[in-house]
Amino acid sequence: MNLFFHIGRYFLLLKRVFGRPEKSRIYLKQLFKEVDNLGVNSVWIVVIISIFIGGIMTIQFAYSMSNPIYPKTLVGLGTRDTLILEFSSTMLALIMAGKIGSNITSEIGTMRVTEQIDSLEIMGINSAGFLILPKIVAVVFIFPFLFIISVFFGLIGGLVTGPVVGVISVTDYLKGIQFLFYPYYVTFSIIKSLFFGFIVASIPAYFGYHVQGGALEVGKASTNAVVNTNIFILLFDLILTRLLLT
Amino acid sequence: MIEIKNLYKSFEGQTVLKDISFRFQQGITNLIIGRSGSGKTVLVKSILGLLEIDEGEIWYDEKNFVKISQKERKALRREIGMVFQGGALFDSLSVEANVGFPLEMFTNLTAREKEKRIDFCLDHVNIEKTAYKLFPSEISGGMKKRVAIARAIALNPKYLFCDEPNSGLDPETATIIDRLIQDLTKEFQMTTIINTHDMNSVLEIGESVMFISKGEVWWEGTNKEILKTNNEKLNDFIFANKIYDQMRKDL
Repeated sequence: MNLFFHIGRYFLLLKRVFGRPEKSRIYLKQLFKEVDNLGVNSVWIVVIISIFIGGIMTIQFAYSMSNPIYPKTLVGLGTRDTLILEFSSTMLALIMAGKIGSNITSEIGTMRVTEQIDSLEIMGINSAGFLILPKIVAVVFIFPFLFIISVFFGLIGGLVTGPVVGVISVTDYLKGIQFLFYPYYVTFSIIKSLFFGFIVASIPAYFGYHVQGGALEVGKASTNAVVNTNIFILLFDLILTRLLLT
Repeated sequence: MIEIKNLYKSFEGQTVLKDISFRFQQGITNLIIGRSGSGKTVLVKSILGLLEIDEGEIWYDEKNFVKISQKERKALRREIGMVFQGGALFDSLSVEANVGFPLEMFTNLTAREKEKRIDFCLDHVNIEKTAYKLFPSEISGGMKKRVAIARAIALNPKYLFCDEPNSGLDPETATIIDRLIQDLTKEFQMTTIINTHDMNSVLEIGESVMFISKGEVWWEGTNKEILKTNNEKLNDFIFANKIYDQMRKDL
């Protein structure tokens, strides 16, 4: 029952979010601010995580394919496909749910408990649209770029780590990441990242917008938002994989 | 003028406001007073349309707020200014940008005209130019309230609502804020409704006072009449403080 209540309220909120903006110019200004705040500020963490994960994956693939019957090129191929199909889209979305999602919930939640949202409503502004729409558009827009950045730096991580620790040569690795490449995998993951972007922005916004109480409740809402966002990312990962890949 | 007629509001079967009728006059400060939990905030939020009422009428001059469409409500809200208890200034905007926000959102003024209007509003609440670029986290409580008042009057509203405007302030600053609201009300001929439980405010600027207890109106009058009333509930509220009790005896 509680679940249906939240789902219903979530869609009612979305209806308000996609209502007609009061002044498009101001929304556009907000959008640029959010792209910078939520997207550009996340690039460094994406780069760092991707480099390390790319390196670790290369070592692990090399270890599990240490049997000489496997060609060395499989290490690069495995690293590439795992990055493209799962890590840089799904795992990255889970990480971003923690960073971007909690940021959105705490920002909107704090505005709610300090009556800033009431203040917008009294001015005659659609507070849901004004606060949430630019965030959703910004995150959906930035996610495919974060995906591409993540794949690129993940592959770089493998390229550096593999030869340095001596599990694969540069030539074998480079040959491997070009071997049996299906461009559709990239399209599939970009489609996934668009969905995940929407989830990562809209679910935390919902939790923040409906906070009641004080600082403690804002904290609890942030935790709930991240947990629920993660569950929905995994659920949609399963659905989209089934629909688009099998 | 704002008039409420036979207003009822309940939450989950529990009646919070019971048959409230009152006329808030233009050009004077109208105070709603009562204990914590008496229904003051629910009443103000109901008048503002932040809470949907169960029964009754809310008239903003000739417009019945309950009956008008959402579009008309939005338009009417642009004639309302609100000062929240904590100021409710936007954290991410500077003092200047907070006051300029409604102008940016709802007017087509040029940058120069906006600047002039911001100067006018902030000057009226005695905010120095040096504070224009500061953020809400960098200014004092009293200053936040003054900036909130400046933002509330930016669009030249017909109606001004203040929710406990001097709570958490020292007595001197509280008096300054009270007088400021009263002066602005007279200057711009607004219909001002102040929600408070501060007796200093009542005596200072209570030109029209409505006392509510347990969601009902128990007394209405002026600050001059309040110390002489025989209303038992009101007396319990006012004379809980020994100073006012002594004042009453002196009278």
